[in-house]
Amino acid sequence: MTAAVSAPDRRRWRGPKFLLAIPSIIWYLLFFAIPIAFVVIYSFGTKDVSRLLPVDLSNLTTKNYADVFDDTFFKVFRATLRIAILATALCVLIGLPVAYFVAFKVSERWRAIILAAIIVPSFTSFLIRTVAWRIPLAPNGTFSKWLTDIGVVGEQGIQLLQTQTAVQIAIVYNYLGFMILPLFVALDRIDVRMREASKDLGAGRVATFFGVTLPLAGPGIIAGVLLTFIPMCGDYVTATVLGGAKGNMIGSMVASQFSQAQNWPLGSAMAVLMIGAVLAVLIAASVIYVVIPRAIRLLDPVAQRLRAARHERSAAAVAKLGSEPARVSRVEPMRMAMSIWTVLVLVFMFIPIGLVVLHSFNGGVSFTIWTGNPSNKWWGELFDGGSTFALALRFLVIVGVFAVAKRLIAARGALPNRRLNWLGPIGFAVALVVNGLITDWFRDVFDFVSIGDAIRNSFLAAFGATVIAVILGGLSGVALARRPGTWSKIFMGTVFLILVTPEVMDAIALVTWFQRVSDVPVLGYVFREGIGPFSGGIAKLWVGQSLYASAVVTLIVRARLSGLDESLEEAAADLGATPARAFRQITLPLISSALVAGGLLSFTLCLDNAVISTLVSEAGSTTFPVALLGATKSTIKPFWGVGAVVLFIVTMAALVFVARVLRRSGESSSQIAATLAGS
Amino acid sequence: MNTPKMPKEMRILAPHSFRERLSRRAVLKAGTAAAGLAVVVAACGGDDDGGSSGGDSGGDALGAQASGDWSRVINKASGTLAMYTWGDYNDPDIVGALAEAELGATMKVDYYGSNEDLITKLASSNGNSGFDIVVPTGPYVPQMIEKGLIQKFDKSLLPNISNVDPSYLAQAWDPGNDYSVCKNWGTTGFFYDTSVITRELKNWQDFLDACMNEASGNCSMLDTGPNMCGVWFWSNGHDWNTTDPALLDECEAFLVDEFAQHVKAFDSYPSTAIAEGAYSISMAWNGDARQAYYRIQDAGGDPTAWKWVLGAPETELWMDTYCVAAGAPNPEAAHAWINWELIPEISIKDLQYHGYNTGLKSMSQLISELAPDLEYGDMIFFTDNQVSTFRTQEITPAIDRHVDILNKMKAKAGG
Repeated sequence: MTAAVSAPDRRRWRGPKFLLAIPSIIWYLLFFAIPIAFVVIYSFGTKDVSRLLPVDLSNLTTKNYADVFDDTFFKVFRATLRIAILATALCVLIGLPVAYFVAFKVSERWRAIILAAIIVPSFTSFLIRTVAWRIPLAPNGTFSKWLTDIGVVGEQGIQLLQTQTAVQIAIVYNYLGFMILPLFVALDRIDVRMREASKDLGAGRVATFFGVTLPLAGPGIIAGVLLTFIPMCGDYVTATVLGGAKGNMIGSMVASQFSQAQNWPLGSAMAVLMIGAVLAVLIAASVIYVVIPRAIRLLDPVAQRLRAARHERSAAAVAKLGSEPARVSRVEPMRMAMSIWTVLVLVFMFIPIGLVVLHSFNGGVSFTIWTGNPSNKWWGELFDGGSTFALALRFLVIVGVFAVAKRLIAARGALPNRRLNWLGPIGFAVALVVNGLITDWFRDVFDFVSIGDAIRNSFLAAFGATVIAVILGGLSGVALARRPGTWSKIFMGTVFLILVTPEVMDAIALVTWFQRVSDVPVLGYVFREGIGPFSGGIAKLWVGQSLYASAVVTLIVRARLSGLDESLEEAAADLGATPARAFRQITLPLISSALVAGGLLSFTLCLDNAVISTLVSEAGSTTFPVALLGATKSTIKPFWGVGAVVLFIVTMAALVFVARVLRRSGESSSQIAATLAGS
Repeated sequence: MNTPKMPKEMRILAPHSFRERLSRRAVLKAGTAAAGLAVVVAACGGDDDGGSSGGDSGGDALGAQASGDWSRVINKASGTLAMYTWGDYNDPDIVGALAEAELGATMKVDYYGSNEDLITKLASSNGNSGFDIVVPTGPYVPQMIEKGLIQKFDKSLLPNISNVDPSYLAQAWDPGNDYSVCKNWGTTGFFYDTSVITRELKNWQDFLDACMNEASGNCSMLDTGPNMCGVWFWSNGHDWNTTDPALLDECEAFLVDEFAQHVKAFDSYPSTAIAEGAYSISMAWNGDARQAYYRIQDAGGDPTAWKWVLGAPETELWMDTYCVAAGAPNPEAAHAWINWELIPEISIKDLQYHGYNTGLKSMSQLISELAPDLEYGDMIFFTDNQVSTFRTQEITPAIDRHVDILNKMKAKAGG
């Protein structure tokens, strides 16, 4: 701050403080604030199905709110809260030891591997993983029969399907990764010296954890809680697939008003109240968060005395034994327990994925019901054998040629290593392009064209939305961290609203908004005719999926930058760099890891987006989750498992490609591991 | 096939380009290709051919041709044909390779979960949704006409409509069939495990009673408000389309306060969960209950322990219809496909897949000739006496109340 005053000749930031956030502000105004405002207005209207959009706004009334304010709403909301709070707590309890173990107890190499193993499951379709939980939970399933045989459960088998417990398990499963990553990042940031100092000062293991580690990890816990609790409150897909009547959640109640009753006014009123209720819970939680440490501080004198006593005791022990060996012997069982726990958690995370792969070879008609005779018929059903083979062959040949070329060039030493390393990714890209040029491969490879199209559309949509989210979120994150002001409070409020708004409300808002702007020049044209090779439906998906994703990127970038002081940028400015140059050469590298992490997170979220995409997509822009969500309304065939596996493989290939390119461009593997985790 | 006219028409209906397509894609899947060819051959038969029934023309039921007076016009189409329909609602061949081979249009199918979702999607896209064929349930047709979401048929492109049983044409929602034609219809009943519920259940009253006793906490209901309330109205002898607030109050009082606590799940397609062992009694649509028999078998269970009962004294008749979306990019192909689907051999192939009555005339004769091995026929076809107890839904303001009651039930059941 003082530096700013003392450097009059420095090229100061000109223009408003929120300059960098302007793209986001326009985006959110256009595609969130105004559309949502219309839905809020709907909540004062009356239902009229004779209109194109079933809302009559001629006489506004608050009757809908009065209707919502009955027992039913609050009862379901309470049940939802119970599920979400318990699941969040379980995620913290299960995730914290894993994050702690990964952050402090393993080598760099293992850290990367474990983190990757935690992230990888989230690149399998969220929906198919949820559906896959039906397999071990089914009372007539193999697992249940086995449990009956060994006498763990009674004749009836496990009675979990269609219960709240099933929802609880699946929700913890679905969101655990989103909890572990921020926890890890927060723990990883803690300066090891702080913990060492604590120990040197005589604090025991437990005291160090609760006195130093946990408070420093606080921001990570908050981030994790927000990233899991908020989407849980709006989630209803998990409850729909597994929950039955006992697992009913508020999100499905809101959705049923829109999709079953066509009662948009009541649905809107419910959504508005739901947002209010979730915000109220968050505010209450933050009050508790502030009050409890103060309360604990009141107990400080007591704690001091305890600590002093323990110090004396441990000092005595040290004197008796000679300090270090005693500590090590106590560490090992702890470390052992944590590593076992981590392995168990990883197994838990991979169970549904293993089941998806297994059941894609199911000989029966239903994905979840294993008939006992494996068969590859659904793989055959999905793929046009000849074309698939030709495609794979072409791909291998091209990549092989590049690999051989690389060997030859390397042997001659004709190119520096740095250039040489680019050959792999280039070969991969050429293989992609060549295959794409020769055939419309998504169409030719897949015999069941719809799934091929769905996989392609998923990629186009998620990729575009991620690019938008990274650009918008990156810029506004920088602006928030570096140029805070009154505007930033309003902006952060909007970001929070985006996170809290139930998806179905966003979906209705956007879908009606697209209709309204269809005659507006440019905007309407883009959504009607598309941009270049991309159809209007894909453009709509970009908008729909980018909202939540960009909010997440914004938070990550802001968190990253606010942890770093501004001295580097100031120094650059002092040395005469223009703001643009300082941004490019200083700020961008600083936030690059946050951008990559945010981008990956966005990509996962977009790839899995089902609710908004279902309403927003058109014929020809159906994505995989949209198609699968439609299929969950009746029998889910095993080829959906095949499709999910293919989608997963393609996603992983794309990510490995990105990771390699990043590494080529100079980031170390440990950096990539860290960025994957969002630090 | 001993039809004298056949060779000439074969040339017309299976032109060179068609054979090429066959060799390119379908030969890889020989089964499909053979079936596809067989249908074209069958479809070309002369009207006046009273010939032999399916048995002696080869084992494949599709190879057979129904006897009698049928219209089998196939109009060629091209380009992409986009269909928006309910999940898993057509034989994959009929909306895939077979349609491509016979009509020349590439099909693309998307799914929705409710009529309201369909309407929202079409209404919010200004006729720009890109879908050609949509499949609303009958009572929603007037609303869609009024909103301009579906377009009038060009009847000259739908000559095969004459194959449909007149009792499934000219329904109240579209008396002239100007916008819609029957895809298939179905009804509602329940399906229960006789090893758990040992007494015989005959009607909705018994169903409700069993759910509240032997099967308490182990029963599933259809996840739609009107159907859920319908059970109470039917079992008490009321019209399920009533808007009488007193009756609706009474219905709510029973369903919410007394019944909801016994419900395990609201599940519109319980067949898979039944096989997984989740329920011992389920309210179900006939086609889905029929699927449950196969699913139970797949899961290694005992299908004979399960019994299907048609809802009584009254129950529902619902009919899903094919319509052409307003602004459809490829209306010719849409008409061509709908018309093709009304050819008896195609229609029966589809029927065998989804297990709902497709409403063609002389149905019992068609089945005996084209699908003699069809199992559980009593869950697809109903006697005149049974049909006389079927009631169609009307779109009334009471639907809001139904959904509200369902929501209250869910809240109660979850508590």
